[in-house]
Amino acid sequence: MNYFNLEIVTPTRIIDEGEVSYVRCPGLDGSFGVMKNHREGIIALGVGEIKVDRNGKEEWMATSGGFVEITHEKVQMLLESIEKSEEIDTNRAEDALKRAKKRKSKIDVNMDDARMDASLMRAINRLKVAKR
Amino acid sequence: MANLKDIRDRIKSVKSIQKVTKAMKMVSAAKMRRAQDRMEQSRPYSQSLQEVIHHILPDVDRDMLPLLDVRKIKRKAYIVVTGDRGLAGSFNANILKMAQNEIDSFGKENVDLFCIGKKARDHFKRREYKIIESHVDFWAEMEFDSAMMIGRSIIDHFVSGKVDEIHVVYNYFINVGQQEVKSEVLLPLVYDENDSAITDRLYEPSKDALVQSLIPRHLNVQMWKYLLESYASEQAARMMAMENATTNAEDMIKDLTLQFNKARQAAITTEMLEIVSGAEALSE
Repeated sequence: MNYFNLEIVTPTRIIDEGEVSYVRCPGLDGSFGVMKNHREGIIALGVGEIKVDRNGKEEWMATSGGFVEITHEKVQMLLESIEKSEEIDTNRAEDALKRAKKRKSKIDVNMDDARMDASLMRAINRLKVAKR
Repeated sequence: MANLKDIRDRIKSVKSIQKVTKAMKMVSAAKMRRAQDRMEQSRPYSQSLQEVIHHILPDVDRDMLPLLDVRKIKRKAYIVVTGDRGLAGSFNANILKMAQNEIDSFGKENVDLFCIGKKARDHFKRREYKIIESHVDFWAEMEFDSAMMIGRSIIDHFVSGKVDEIHVVYNYFINVGQQEVKSEVLLPLVYDENDSAITDRLYEPSKDALVQSLIPRHLNVQMWKYLLESYASEQAARMMAMENATTNAEDMIKDLTLQFNKARQAAITTEMLEIVSGAEALSE
């Protein structure tokens, strides 16, 4: 198996994943996988789940977007937020989902559509990852 | 000679002040350590972001993004970052002095102000500067979201063309004993044009779209950095100020104790003199 180094960086936290064999990222137009010797590049990421495969051991994480920088030496993800599946507080996530749904159902002049949809999407995503 | 009771009271009050300054010093030290940790955590993100932007920017058309727009400077906005509270040595005073100097030299009537921290707000409100927005009372539960919230309205102010340049005046954290007041240009973004672009790289969805999403993020991180630097500096400045206050109180207690003992001995001496001379008068 071929391994590469994965590092996840957010404004408040750094996770050094170390050697991994595969990572699946939520791209803007669908998920894509990265393995060793991937072409170098910078790819934007949206709200979604990240799957990290370390020798058959899987790990799931929820993110609200950012981008990934792939070089021959390592893969670095620069994300706005990251939560591992075991860290997600399911109750809180469900509350957030309820709130977001409620907001969507009544017209709120103070919230623009894009922001409302984003919070709904984030809440759904976190719940999905939490159940992995 | 001051009387004994007065001196004793003063010693008591200085001692209780010393207790307070000591406690404040300890609290600030703990807060500063936390802020420092957060600062270190945020550095890799902002650095990597900056590098990526540097790589892409030479290939991107500057007219595309309003945030890259370089206009003739008619109006400026200043973001002044201070603390909510005093008792931090010259921390707030230095910032306010520098900000006011810069604003006055450009012309007070052509400057919009964003005040972060109570001290900045109060200072400029009293002097009737034009304050657009002020953010206070958020330091204790400061999160990345607060930076994003503050950043959003400031960016809007620039994009809508109300001002042509945005400056930030804040305290830069060098180390515990040293902070430097800095004034930086936040917008429009300027970069060295001679950065070499890396070729043969995959950009998805496209370079333009990437820059569009990267630059607002970069500004948020920048804002976050200013808040963290300022907060750490404030706590460090307070810690040093309280440390000095504690040693000064110690000196004062020493002086006062000496005075007290002198006064006490003088009192004893006079008393003895009185007794002896009284006894002598009787025996004669």
